[in-house]
Amino acid sequence: MSTTTNFDGRSTGYLPEGADINRNIATRRLRGKIWQTLFFSSLVIGSLALATLLYTIIDDSFGYIAVQTKIDPEELSDRPLEELSKEELIEILRANISAGLFRRFDRDEPFSERSKESVLQLVEERVIGREVAAAFKLTESLLERERIEATVRERFPRAELEFHSWINREFLTRPMSSVPFLAGVGNAILGSLWVIAITMLLVVPIGILGGVYLEEYASDTWYYRLIETNINNLAGVPSIIYGILGLAIFVRALEPITSGAAFGVTDSNGRTILSAGLTMALLVLPLMIINAREAIRAVPQSIRQASYGLGATRWQTVWHHVLPNALPGILTGTILSLSRAFGETAPLIVIGASTFIVSYPDSVFDKFTVIPIQIYNWTSQPGSQFRSIAAAAIIVLLVTLLLLNATAILLRNRFKRRY
Amino acid sequence: MTVAERLRVNMAQANGIYAVELQNTHIFYGSFHAVKDVSLPIERQKITAFIGPSGCGKSTVLRAINRMNDLIPGARLDGQVLFHGKNIYDPDVDPVEVRRRIGMVFQKPNPFPKSIYDNIMFGPRINGWRGTKAQADELVERALRGAAIWDEVKDKLHQPGTALSGGQQQRLCIARALAVQPEVILVDEPCSALDPISTLKIEELMFELRRNYTIIIVTHNMQQASRVSDYTAFFLMDSDRAGQLIEYGPTEEIFTSPKDKRTEDYISGRFG
Repeated sequence: MSTTTNFDGRSTGYLPEGADINRNIATRRLRGKIWQTLFFSSLVIGSLALATLLYTIIDDSFGYIAVQTKIDPEELSDRPLEELSKEELIEILRANISAGLFRRFDRDEPFSERSKESVLQLVEERVIGREVAAAFKLTESLLERERIEATVRERFPRAELEFHSWINREFLTRPMSSVPFLAGVGNAILGSLWVIAITMLLVVPIGILGGVYLEEYASDTWYYRLIETNINNLAGVPSIIYGILGLAIFVRALEPITSGAAFGVTDSNGRTILSAGLTMALLVLPLMIINAREAIRAVPQSIRQASYGLGATRWQTVWHHVLPNALPGILTGTILSLSRAFGETAPLIVIGASTFIVSYPDSVFDKFTVIPIQIYNWTSQPGSQFRSIAAAAIIVLLVTLLLLNATAILLRNRFKRRY
Repeated sequence: MTVAERLRVNMAQANGIYAVELQNTHIFYGSFHAVKDVSLPIERQKITAFIGPSGCGKSTVLRAINRMNDLIPGARLDGQVLFHGKNIYDPDVDPVEVRRRIGMVFQKPNPFPKSIYDNIMFGPRINGWRGTKAQADELVERALRGAAIWDEVKDKLHQPGTALSGGQQQRLCIARALAVQPEVILVDEPCSALDPISTLKIEELMFELRRNYTIIIVTHNMQQASRVSDYTAFFLMDSDRAGQLIEYGPTEEIFTSPKDKRTEDYISGRFG
């Protein structure tokens, strides 16, 4: 074997020589390639999982539906219903529903006081009775149109086929309903926003203050270390445990406060938005403290020293240097906590969020529902239409989370500082 | 120290020869004895250089003079550090006041991520600045001129201090220290991250500052110590890794006729 391929032609004795050099390099490169492939394949697996999720959701959220009515609107009147007067609509209603039902509607709200829109809605719901006889997924709608048309013609001769997006404006604003076609997430979105608002109102200040104390003030003694360990562990406790805690403390023990009874609110129990917000606050507080501490710790020590060196007190150093420089990181942590609270379901089920509720919340002492609970509820119902609205609600949830994260990134970049 | 010596030192303090005086100072980090029995009187309006190999405790001693070691958990000091005849480690002394009167410039330039103007004004503001905007402008100019950087930054006072070059940043840090009008400035290896031209500028600057301030500088660079300082203190660690003061005297003496063999070895580059 040649030993003269080293640059100066000298043999070292303990390093590969001659052709061995190339063989050695080839082996090392191969090893690198294998690892690179492994890293890449994990990325592929992740992307596939994400793509499957998105595909399933979108597949369920759009597609053909076969809509049929009890009576063709043209049989009721020779003009479009929208153009009829209120009195004509009332007559149609009287003629087509039972007298008892008609009296009940009149008792709920006298027809003389109802608006034309309200009467029109009753006619549409009770007389025409638009209902979805069958729903199809996006893929089959696009690829097998003829088969769908044939099936619908055969099984629902009176039905009309139309392309429907389950996520639409009505879906976003309407409350819950037992009919999937009429159900919406309007009150769930509002409920989620209320709960998040209470959670953030509590968690952001407490989390930042706690983080500052632990990082800048607390000395390295056993009880602070104990607190630290506890916080880190609490961040990993299953969320249902927090639900049980919230049920015991906020729903039961503090019922006079969380139900609003102490503030003069009647006919309410402890299962309110306030209880939910407080429980969520407990749940994400450890996360928030940990994130705030990370952000504070990332502020270079040299900045603190410069500040102290000029005669700044600890508080002045924290206020003028540590907090402003930690702000981007704290914001990121805030959004992470927010996203967590937004998507969390289990603790709210335990503390008794309503799964079926048609009213919109308008105070913290109201009963409520949130988007993930609606999703959970709908996915557990039989029928493909519930699956479709669950998928639509998932899109709402994902888009909201994406928007929140985008805001976080924008804010972080805005406040980003150079050291 | 004998009674007579102590008396002489106290007289000197009263007459204002010494700006700062360390008496039998021991410094500990937890159970680690980092610096052993340092007694070091530092003369007013002179430049005193601390030299010695890495880990010999010279930075630790420097940071003890304005109580920066307080920020390190577990750090403790025995003995006295006298400033105006008063031990700054007495319980009734507030470290915040000590640090305002004994300023510090750090090894790595550490301007705040704020404008140059705000960097200078931060010290005065946190210490209860009550002047007008015009007076603030004047103070900023005076501090920047004092640190020989005015001409380079006067047109970009409201740009971030972190955008300057390394040498400029270090002079900005010196200007920032000057703005609170300290009596003593502690300088910890100010040129270790700088190029030779920036180093020269900082050295010239320190020579200027000597007229109004007492300067204590830690340096690895023996040429620098011999060029700029009036007094030199040589530190070395002993077999327990504790820093000790080996020799202290006028710079010329230390560099031409050291009394201790170890000083001579270090100066002539035989170790360290």
